[in-house]
Amino acid sequence: MRRFFAPLLALGLAAAGAAQAEDTLTPLHFQSQGALGSIDKAAAQRGFLVYQTVCAACHSANALHYRDLEALGLTPDQAAGVAAGVKLADGSAATLDSPFKDPAMPASAFGGAAPPDLSSIVAQRKHGTMYIYKLLTGYAAAPQSVNLLPGHYYNTAFPGGQIAMPPVLRDNAVTYADGTAATAQQEAADVAEFLTWAADPNLSARHQIGLRAVIFFLFLSLVALASKRGIWRERA
Amino acid sequence: MTTDAKQSWAGERMPCLGGLCGALFAPRCTPEGKYLDTLPGLIAIALAFLTLSGAVMAAYYDPWHAFASVQFIRREVNNGWLVQAYHATGATALFGLVYLHLFRVMLTRAYRAPGEFAWWLAVKLLALLLFVGWMGFVLSGGAAGYWSLFNAANAAVSLPGAPGAVARWFLGGPAAPASLARLEMFHTVLALAALAVAGGLLAARRKVAPQPAPGKGVAFYPYYLAQYLAALAVFALIFSVLLFFAPHFGQPAVNALAADPLTLPAGTALPWYLLPLAGVADALPGLWGGVAGVAGALVVLAALPWLDRAGPDGAKGKLYCALTWILALDVLALGATSAAHDNPQAPLLLGLFTLWYFFHFLVLTPLVTAMEAK
Ligand code: HEC
Repeated sequence: MRRFFAPLLALGLAAAGAAQAEDTLTPLHFQSQGALGSIDKAAAQRGFLVYQTVCAACHSANALHYRDLEALGLTPDQAAGVAAGVKLADGSAATLDSPFKDPAMPASAFGGAAPPDLSSIVAQRKHGTMYIYKLLTGYAAAPQSVNLLPGHYYNTAFPGGQIAMPPVLRDNAVTYADGTAATAQQEAADVAEFLTWAADPNLSARHQIGLRAVIFFLFLSLVALASKRGIWRERA
Repeated sequence: MTTDAKQSWAGERMPCLGGLCGALFAPRCTPEGKYLDTLPGLIAIALAFLTLSGAVMAAYYDPWHAFASVQFIRREVNNGWLVQAYHATGATALFGLVYLHLFRVMLTRAYRAPGEFAWWLAVKLLALLLFVGWMGFVLSGGAAGYWSLFNAANAAVSLPGAPGAVARWFLGGPAAPASLARLEMFHTVLALAALAVAGGLLAARRKVAPQPAPGKGVAFYPYYLAQYLAALAVFALIFSVLLFFAPHFGQPAVNALAADPLTLPAGTALPWYLLPLAGVADALPGLWGGVAGVAGALVVLAALPWLDRAGPDGAKGKLYCALTWILALDVLALGATSAAHDNPQAPLLLGLFTLWYFFHFLVLTPLVTAMEAK
């Protein structure tokens, strides 16, 4: 018996090792993707840090509350601490609101292109998670043939190729508490996972319940079909 | 007590209860019912559950802040995400069942007398549900829903005379929160009306169901109950795959964006179940063309019992069966083209597919059925 289990155990240890220093970049993958995907809480926490330090300067995520962060594994005290850092004039900090006090301000600052609310951005774009990553890592020098509009940057992922959002991610824009190297790619991948959670906070639960429901109804179907055949056979 | 004794005991005390006993226990059904015969029953059940989940959402829905309140249901209400996903997937499943039922009745030609009344009820159910489904889509407050309402409402309220007056009364002016408040009410009322039509469909179908040979009949309980339960379990299996793994199936992604009266998002579209009819409406020019297209498409469908010239007992030919399959493909193609309406070829294709749809009903059906009946 032991001979059988030894390779299995080795495999398990290798997997556990990989989980500790989870490398989501080579090859690029997101735990949230796929039929049974679930939110990678560690990545989403790092992603929140990126959102809060970088993106929140321009983007709101006003469908989210600071208390929602507890779903990512923050303790209530930690969530309260985050909220305390962004108190509004009246002392409240409930949702991740727009940093701009004047609603007309962002559009005028960016030549008419207001930074959109990011709460549901992943649901609004095709292959949203991957799109966010590609958008944030898609900045490049504009080719000769492209005439950049004033205040725009060349981006290979953005439809039309010209975006009013400057490249905001660079290596070590944040410092990760868990020791993950904060490369620009890592930050992009993490914030993409965070925004995936933001758009669909129940993704993990949905997949988990769904798997059980499907297994349950599969068995129920088999039992019901068999009992129907049994009952009808009795008649003959 | 024997079945007869039960029936007369209940019947003497409350006639309709006796009728129910009879329906359950009297050996009145033919023994070779098909699984797909349960479709009207499944439709009624799906509709009932859809109404229930709708009632839960109505407790939190706020037409004056439509998008935000749906977000609230999905994010804050306990298990609200499940109820909301259930409601959205329920619409998909319901339309799947209704389209399948209509197609099957066309294929088996069960719409011929005395089944024509049940057929009309089924078409009426489709028409009602399309309307209710569109209103639900608009109520979501998403960008796609908003612009769909905006276009429809602006066209409708600008009509001269009585139609415009009715539209203004119905919508309370062009796309505004007041319109959503009214649509929420009509969405509910017409959904209940659809439930009544579904009940009528069940009753009408029972009346015209084939009678068993004397002494050969089987009772609903337990035989058909077992069949219904099996069909329901398989349906629930398919439903849960959709609900948990594709909760946004067939919904335009732009609807995840809050409506903004100042920005028309690219690629607005409709949910899948509205697409074929929207294709017919798009293929015909002008507002009245669209209205006539939608009404005409449903009217020719309802007129099928007359358009079929074979008579109640006429032979069921192979050619007409093949044509019905082609019609199904045509409707699918209409939907697919309508979804890709930005494609430069789309107008031409929509025109062709719409032409075939009406050609099938108005020319091919009478011609081929009369020919095959000879
Ligand atoms: C300096 C302000 C600023 C910062 C910081 C910023 N953005 Fe943006 N962002 C914008 C503007 C402006 C737009 C609108 C661009 C346009 O429409 O051309 C935008 C658009 C976007 C879009 C929508 C693109 C689309 O497909 O329409 C996404 C997604 C996005 N930003 C993500 C982020 C993320 C993630 C971060 C943090 C890593 C971030 N942004 C940081 C200004 C900013």
